Amino acid sequence: MSAVNIRNVSKAFNEGKSNQVDALRDVSLDVKQGEFVSLIGPSGCGKSTLLRLIANLLEPTSGEVSVNGKSAVQARLDQDYGMAFQQAGLFDWRTVRKNIELPLELKGWEKADRRARADEMLQLVKLPEFGDHYPWQLSGGMQQRIAIARALAAHPPLLLMDEPVGALDEMTREYMQGELLRICAATGTTVVFVTHSIPEAVYLSNRVVVMSPRPGRITKVVDVALGGERSEDTRNRTAFFEAITAVREGLRGMHAAHVGLGNDDR
Amino acid sequence: MTLIVRRAAYRTAMFVLALGLVVLIWETYKAVGPADGGKLLGVRILPRTSEYAMPHVWDMFQRFSRPEVRGSDRTVFSSVLAGAWYSFRLSVAGFVLGGAVGVGLAVLMARFKLVQRGVLPYLVVSQTVPLIALAPLVVSWGGKLEVGPFVWPRWLSASVLGAFLAFFPIAVGTLRGLAAAPAASVELMQSYAASWGKTLVKLKFPTAVPYMVPAFRLGASASVIGVVVAEISTGLKGGIGRLIIEYAREATGDPAKVYTAIFGAAALGLTMAGVVVAVDVFVMRNRPKESIS
Repeated sequence: MSAVNIRNVSKAFNEGKSNQVDALRDVSLDVKQGEFVSLIGPSGCGKSTLLRLIANLLEPTSGEVSVNGKSAVQARLDQDYGMAFQQAGLFDWRTVRKNIELPLELKGWEKADRRARADEMLQLVKLPEFGDHYPWQLSGGMQQRIAIARALAAHPPLLLMDEPVGALDEMTREYMQGELLRICAATGTTVVFVTHSIPEAVYLSNRVVVMSPRPGRITKVVDVALGGERSEDTRNRTAFFEAITAVREGLRGMHAAHVGLGNDDR
Repeated sequence: MTLIVRRAAYRTAMFVLALGLVVLIWETYKAVGPADGGKLLGVRILPRTSEYAMPHVWDMFQRFSRPEVRGSDRTVFSSVLAGAWYSFRLSVAGFVLGGAVGVGLAVLMARFKLVQRGVLPYLVVSQTVPLIALAPLVVSWGGKLEVGPFVWPRWLSASVLGAFLAFFPIAVGTLRGLAAAPAASVELMQSYAASWGKTLVKLKFPTAVPYMVPAFRLGASASVIGVVVAEISTGLKGGIGRLIIEYAREATGDPAKVYTAIFGAAALGLTMAGVVVAVDVFVMRNRPKESIS
């Protein structure tokens, strides 16, 4: 059973009106259990839309999305996934620990169980002494780690991330990428990851899905032959650069067809 | 915490300074202005400065310690204090009632767009109805109301009129606050499959607090105004509003007296606002400091 199965999905906004936008057209993708898949492409290629379709925050215009063999709606109701966004989006009025407990609270967990799990999560993201702090007392990178801890608190089999490190500086970013790989390896979580950055996508993923805009569709899927174990040395390996080149060519091929869009993928 | 204390000290100092300035202007004009008022181009526009029109500030304060009526052992101070305390309790009742109605309406309007479109214009219109016109109506409606053992007490009319003024800023402020949750947070709650009620309690109310606090502050002083005006226009005895009217009648013989009641009313309003500010500092103690207004 695949973790995420997307079959011939299209999504149009303002359907049938003069300002109709085809965000996605006829997209199919299969993500296996435990796989790390990145979606990459310029602004407007529909990668965030695709993520929200998996999360059932949007309904597809046509086609089907299934998560863990269930419909996307059912998967959302069963809390089969955790989600993290570009902005950490922590609640200012809750302590760090209470923020991590939020999804557990909504699931109706007992207080003691919630606390135990929150402490476990704080260990996982290596911020055990910050449980009683408030989010605004932490740095951006720390907040983002708490957001990841919150997304993983209920031990969902699937993690959906929309540029979760996109707002961080380069050094924090690379550190967070390493942390993310470590956490995912430790928990065996499947990840669908949206990003603008080619090296980030290659470093993290088993597969990189290259998308193009107007209408949003998948143009190329790059298998990253770097194996499971990755470290800072991975960034110097030939296979790393080969994969980067392959992704870049995928993006470039599309840019040749869409002249003028060349520079909007940071 | 020290920041809050320092800010509070600064504000208090500014408040005292502003008060001192008012006293200074009052006494300066009294010293230099014409006793019988002045005419400018044949129109009488300069106020009189005689003892009857503008008593000295210290006379006003001295009046507090003297008997309310000649020969009585009850001082003006104790009368004003009793009146202010009575009106304070009515104002609190009005404020609580107005708060409940205001927040309730805001939640309904946030939940149902149709309610918002239908009700909001009427809320705005309601505030243009003069309170003095409404007061006798509320008294007569209330007088006819009798549910089982419940008989409408006279003071409740004043509280209801206080609530009538208080609910409006509270409803509008809360409604704005409920709409202030960031889209990403709303999506997050959706991703947790959280119900509308859960989202309201865990996300929307907490984000609304910074909007609700100033609204409640306005509501608190509006409630005081409503109660004082209602006391005057319904003839309710025992409160500061009634005292203002009574003392004003004696203004020709005892001009300083009415000011004591006015000071009492001002202190009442400040106390109400102060209570709300104290609650504000308490609920916002763990928020980022820049969001404290």
